[in-house]
Parts: sequence; structure tokens; C-alpha cells
Amino acid sequence: MEKNQYLCNSACYKLNWLVYEAPIMGFATLLYLTYLFIPILLLILGSFGQTWTNTLFPSGVTLGWYHELWTDGSFRRAFLVSMEVVTGTCVFCSLLAVPLAYSLYRSASKRVMVAARIVFLLPIAAPPLVLAFGFILVFTSDAAPWLGSVWLLVAGHVVLTLPYLLQTLVSDMRHLGLEELEAAAESLGAGFGRRFRDIVLPLLRHSLGSGLIMVAALSIGEFQLSNLIAGFLYRPYPVVLLQAFYGATGFACAATVILLALALLASAGGALMARFASR
Amino acid sequence: MSLTIERLNFRYPGTDIGVHDINLSIGHGELLAVIGSSGSGKTTLLKLIAGFETADNGRVFIDGEDITRLPVRHRRLGIVFQSYALFPHMTAWENVAYPLKLRKRGQRERRDKAFEALARVGLAGFEDRRPPILSGGQQQRVALARALVFAPKILLLDEPLSALDASLRGEMRDEILRLQREFDIATIHVTHDQEEALSMADRVAVMESGRLVQVATPLELYDNPATRSVAGFVGESNLWDGAVVSEDTVEVAFGLLKTEPHGFGIGRRVTVMVRPENVRIGGGEDGCNHFHGTVVRDRFFGATRRYDLAVGAGIILGQTGQRRPIESVKICPKDVRLLES
Repeated sequence: MEKNQYLCNSACYKLNWLVYEAPIMGFATLLYLTYLFIPILLLILGSFGQTWTNTLFPSGVTLGWYHELWTDGSFRRAFLVSMEVVTGTCVFCSLLAVPLAYSLYRSASKRVMVAARIVFLLPIAAPPLVLAFGFILVFTSDAAPWLGSVWLLVAGHVVLTLPYLLQTLVSDMRHLGLEELEAAAESLGAGFGRRFRDIVLPLLRHSLGSGLIMVAALSIGEFQLSNLIAGFLYRPYPVVLLQAFYGATGFACAATVILLALALLASAGGALMARFASR
Repeated sequence: MSLTIERLNFRYPGTDIGVHDINLSIGHGELLAVIGSSGSGKTTLLKLIAGFETADNGRVFIDGEDITRLPVRHRRLGIVFQSYALFPHMTAWENVAYPLKLRKRGQRERRDKAFEALARVGLAGFEDRRPPILSGGQQQRVALARALVFAPKILLLDEPLSALDASLRGEMRDEILRLQREFDIATIHVTHDQEEALSMADRVAVMESGRLVQVATPLELYDNPATRSVAGFVGESNLWDGAVVSEDTVEVAFGLLKTEPHGFGIGRRVTVMVRPENVRIGGGEDGCNHFHGTVVRDRFFGATRRYDLAVGAGIILGQTGQRRPIESVKICPKDVRLLES
């Protein structure tokens, strides 16, 4: 009797889930995905539409907007600048983040840990706008007149994205128990350099890869800082994209779709680079 | 090779925790187990020998050579870590070959020696597997092969069996002992499991609050513990507070207890130790101490049974293989040990 009661309860729970909970959860997920993908879908549709004025969907089909984008020198140049900035950001972030994360992980000092926490919170505590004004003040001086250069854009993007990569690396080091693995390597005869090359770097390849995907995606879409510190010669893609919205809708859609593709491409490139670097 | 430790002292900065005045020596081919409760300093002692911590003062010698200030990587010690610390991105044979790679041996030689070492620990056929897909016992064997492949001077084992299932522990205990004998290497085995220490070691060192309290053979340690805490830590025992009333009698909470001549002064407060297996069921006029009481707790372990017999104001813990009801027990004078209180 007791067993039957239990079975009935178990079956009832399952039925309850199927009838009430599953449809609600499914609907909520669908709603969220729709909210996420509809703007992207509309952008893609708009980029192929001939005209789009005060209607739900565009009318006519054309590849003209992409052709116009391709022949527009400022967009082509911005595209290349963005690729340069993303590559530079990924390279410098990798070079800085791995040793920095390692020092943070191995440091037992409380002060260092507090400093690390501040660095981790920097992107939230100091918005890009604040950082941009700081850059303008410093890099318009005669001592460092570099405002408007690609290198300054890279430096700005490194400051903004480094904390994310650092966080990914430090948590992976903790998860791997790197300290004990290094102690084992040391007891077998490995000096610091060998341990770093043979143990630390290969073990971090996955988190470095995923961290660089994030860095690349953030860098390619960065607008606030870039808009203020980029000069006329080296404007990255999102900055130039803003101009497109003052023109035809189809052209703006096509330019945005290219930015989206660029972000995906940069992410894939970042991951590939990390894998190559770890070999 | 032998290991000697002289007046070794170490404190973690800003605390009183560490190890104090450690003197110890381990002969060639000897297996010394270091036991103690958590925080007793046994792992710190291992770290000092390995070189992961540097002693405040005192010295560590291997075969007469002072290695106290030598960096870890130059000490040539084989260490098996509690978590095994196998490199997850390398295969089993690459793990084992790593110390040989560091010693610049050729690829062919490294591979051959690693395969041979893995075969010696019973892992032939597992060479190309990565640690995450090996079982706990197999990982343990890889760790042992890696620690032994480069002919280390001393083998250090840091609680190597604690991460294993109880069923595997016995098997690995025999395996470690077999390899230790085969390689004929001085070994320090740190563990909190006293059964493991007693069954494997040639000698056992007991640590307490950072100090060595007793170093003895397993038999000596079990039969004649130096202090009450050692007696409590090594095996089960009755430990009663007592007072000496004559040269062969002590008084405990539940009456007088005859002992063999003990050498303690009359009136002296002592700890009376009796192992549960020396508490025998039944009576009779045989010169032993007899007590009547009631069993207040009875635990069945299969081959043995452990019971608490309430006698007056005290409890006698006994152990027997018999299953019959218990009303009286006897404790013979030769089984009573008196310890400093």
C-alpha cells in the first residue's frame, strides 16, 4: 500500500512537470531566443532588402548594399584596422595575462590578492568612457602625443579586456591544482623555466583559448573607448559603422551584419591562435 | 642511501605551528612510517625533507651530504603526492619519462625505461593512456613508477593511499611494500592511518604537536607506547587514570588492579593501559584480576566482537571472538602497562 502510494506520487510529479512546468519553461526559453535572434534576423533580412521604409519587412532583394560596402574605402580601411587591433589585443593580452595570472595565483600575499581583486573589478568600476578621458588627457601631451594611433587603440583594448582573461586563467589554475603539479615537476628535477614551458603553458591552453575568444569578441565590438581615442586615420569598424546609420537602412544593416561576422571571425581566430601558441 | 635529520626546527611565519627539535635517521632500504593526527607536523616534516620548506635551523643529510639548503630539484628524491600530481596533458609513459627527459636522456631510452617502469608496477598495456581515464589505483602506480624511474636517493610517500577505496588500499599497500623492497630504497611514508603504518613499516615515528614522541618498531610501539597519547593513537586501548598503591598494584575507578612490578613510586598518578584483546572472558583462580559487570555496548565486526563492560564507576573495553553472553572478565598482570600521566 505504501509502495503504491509512493509510485502514485512519483507519477504525479512527472505528470505535473509534463503538463505545467515543461510548457512554461519551454515557452520562456522560446521567448528569450526570439528576443535574442529577431534583431539579428531582421538585420540580415534588411541587408538583402532593396527598400525598407515604415514596413515590418523590407521589399525587394539585392546584394547592392554589400557591394556598396565593399567599394566604400572608409569601411574597408576600418575593417582592416579592426583586425589589426584585435590581433594586437590578443597578442598583448596573452603575453601579459599568463605571467600576471601565474604571479597572482602563486602569491600568498594578501595585498597582492586585494590588488588582483581591484584589477578584476576595473572594467565595472571604471567605465570605458572614464578611461577614454584619461587617455585623451595623457596622450595629447607633448611627451606622449599618440592619440589616434593603432597602438593606443590596442593599449586601450588591452586595459579593458585583460581582467576578463586574467580571471579565466586564475580560476583555471585553481581548478587544475597547478601548485601541486609544479611541486611534482620540481621534485623530478624541473627548474622554473622548464615547469612553465612543460607544465603551466600546456595546461592553460584551453582557458587561454576560451579567454582569448572573449577578448577578441569584446575588442571587435568595442565602441565607447575607440570612438573617443581613435583618430581619423585609424578608426575601427564600430566607430565607422555609426555613420552608416545616417544613410540608407539596407547599407546600415549590411555594415552591422559584417560587424557580427567580424566578431565571430575574431573569436575563431583568437581560439586558433591560442591553440597554436600552446603547441 | 640513508637519511639523517639533526635538530630540525621550523615554524610557519607568525605562528607556533611547525616542527620542533626533530632528530631522526633512516637506514638504507628501511621503510619508516610517520604517523600523527591532523596538524601534528608530519606533512611539514616531509616538506622539509623534500625541500619545499626551508628549516629555521637544524640539518638534513643524505649519505652524509648536507642537503638542508639544496633546492628541491637538486635533491633527487622520489615523491608520491597525496593527489598523485600526475600531469594530465601527458600519457602514462610520458609522465614516467618526464624525469628522464629533464636529465637529457635520448627519446628511445626514455621510452624504453618508462615502459619498463610501468611494466614493473603492473601497468603494461596502459602506457598511452592519459591520467584522467586511469582508475585511482592505476594513477597511484603511475605516480610510483614516475617517482622511482630516475633512481632517486630516497622515496617520500605523502599519504599515498588516502585517496583510494578501502578495497584497493590493501592491494596497494602490498604493492608499495613490494616495490620498496625491490628497489631497496630508504622510504619515508607519511600517513594518518596507524593500521597502514603498523603493517608496512620497519619502524614507526609518532608525531604530536610538531614533535617526535616515539620512534620504534611496530611491535614495540603497540606493546610499549611511550605516552598516553601514543597509546590512544596507536590501536584501541583502555586508558584509565590510576594511582599506585604498592609495587605491583594500582587503583583505578572500578577497583584494584594487580600489575607486574612497575617501578613507580607509591601514590604516583599514572595512566593504566590494557589492550582490549588482553581482556579475557571468564573467571578462575589464576592470579589475574577478575571483574563482574554488565555489557552496555556490544559491536559485531565479523571475526571479532568489541564490547563495553560497565564495572562500578568504570568501563572496560574488551575484544573477543566468542559470541556467548559476558558477565565477567579477567585482566592478567602481564597485560597491564603503566604510563606517565
